[in-house]
Amino acid sequence: MAKAPAIPPAPLTPSRRTTILFGLALVAVLSFLALGLQWGQLLPHGGGVEIAGNFFAAAVQPAFTYEGSDFLPADAPAFLLKVGLALWRTLLYAVAAISLALVLGAVFGVLASEGFWQGRRGGAAVRLAVRWFMAVLRSVHELIWALLFLAAIGLSPAAAVMAIALPYGGTLAKVFAEMLDESSPAAANALHGLGARPLQVFLFGRLPRALADIAAYAFYRFECAVRSSAVLGFFGYTTLGLYIRQSFENLHYREVWAYLYALLLLVLALEAWSSQIRRRFVA
Amino acid sequence: MSSSPAFELAGVQVNLGGRPVLDSLDLRFVAGDMVALIGPSGAGKTTLLRVLNGVIAPSRGHLKMFGQNPADLAEARRRHLRADVGFVHQDHSLVPNLRVLQNVVAGGLGHRGFWSSLRLMIRPVRADLMRAHQLLERVGIGDRMYHRTDSLSGGQQQRVALARALFQSPHALLADEPVSAVDPARARDMIALLTTLAKEEGWTLIASLHDVALAREFFPRLVALREGKVAFDGPPQDLTESAAEAIYRLDG
Repeated sequence: MAKAPAIPPAPLTPSRRTTILFGLALVAVLSFLALGLQWGQLLPHGGGVEIAGNFFAAAVQPAFTYEGSDFLPADAPAFLLKVGLALWRTLLYAVAAISLALVLGAVFGVLASEGFWQGRRGGAAVRLAVRWFMAVLRSVHELIWALLFLAAIGLSPAAAVMAIALPYGGTLAKVFAEMLDESSPAAANALHGLGARPLQVFLFGRLPRALADIAAYAFYRFECAVRSSAVLGFFGYTTLGLYIRQSFENLHYREVWAYLYALLLLVLALEAWSSQIRRRFVA
Repeated sequence: MSSSPAFELAGVQVNLGGRPVLDSLDLRFVAGDMVALIGPSGAGKTTLLRVLNGVIAPSRGHLKMFGQNPADLAEARRRHLRADVGFVHQDHSLVPNLRVLQNVVAGGLGHRGFWSSLRLMIRPVRADLMRAHQLLERVGIGDRMYHRTDSLSGGQQQRVALARALFQSPHALLADEPVSAVDPARARDMIALLTTLAKEEGWTLIASLHDVALAREFFPRLVALREGKVAFDGPPQDLTESAAEAIYRLDG
């Protein structure tokens, strides 16, 4: 029997990957140290034990009617109706905002993609300008946009919608552009080879390949928009956040949980709907 | 007519990544020629097909497609030249999540304006629909017209790609390793189909093949490439066994 060839010696230096992993772990530990984190603080102590106990005890018995009706105005709607309306308005803001964001994302995502400019002039300059503009839009968080609008024009539904639509548009454009450019160029190249114009190559060779990913990501961002819309209530918009804050300030924890469960139900419903549509795209 | 040149290459050199992939090629293919391109991997077969398709410009020398040098033309005219050449890619290059029908009618894009092509791709008129179906019947998968393309087998997708080329009504068909992914029996069927269609349509057919026996059996002319140069050009009976071995030899 022939002797097996010798196994080549393994390199003795730690591999690049190991070095990077250790480096990342070190950065994490350093950031904990810099912040002076004390994990023990996460456990309630003293009077906090009772508050935390009350709060989490309320989780298993969310409110179906108002907690403590002493200060209720005479014309207050039934509690569940109030929850339902808050949820409905949360959804409305999210739908309006994501619709605008999708238009922004589609237009600028296409303009920022490499594939769209293949076979055309002027792509580099436009792409750079669009990518910078989108980076500016999304570098400001929706809560900060809301604050800016609040300072500039006060409480207005249009301002709330724009506060979500602008950063979401920036994010959608960036991700759409990446999805368009990461999809396989094979079909697009074939269409170019059979004499199609650049716009035809893009529309019929590139876009359809990326469409399933784009739709799935748009759905995910819609879900995020619902949460953002709820949180904008903290600034006084009549979405879930407003009532969560009010109930919280009144120490009506069971009401807080009712609102939170309502939000959870909405997000789960959206998830069920989007996964159904995703299955249609994939199958 | 049969002797009018479809493709002429004079001193064509193509450099990719700083080294010559094709080196001073002089070749002439006339209308109706049926040619098998053979040679080892990396010899430049795919690059030559892409040059003939007009999507890679020679670094040196020049190419004439149907009597015209694409380098002398404006882009719009170059597109029209490309529209006259069908190409069946090794990986099919179809859009997998579109229907078979849409991939087939995409072959007509080179001849359409913007609105007409939207119509063609989204809701083709009856004439286009009938033509697409007829072509799919011709390649043997008429019943798959409304299936999603990626639900078809590799061999069937190859036929979709061929139907797309037929829809294009080209003067020439280039095929890059059209049978690399199918078993020998299906490979024979595919080459028989290709050569039959080429005869019926009067195409100039140039197909790269790794199977020399198939090439000998179906093609009246073989062109062998080795290291970017023409190593053989002639009828199969002139290619001796030892010459064929030399083309595929590993050294050098």
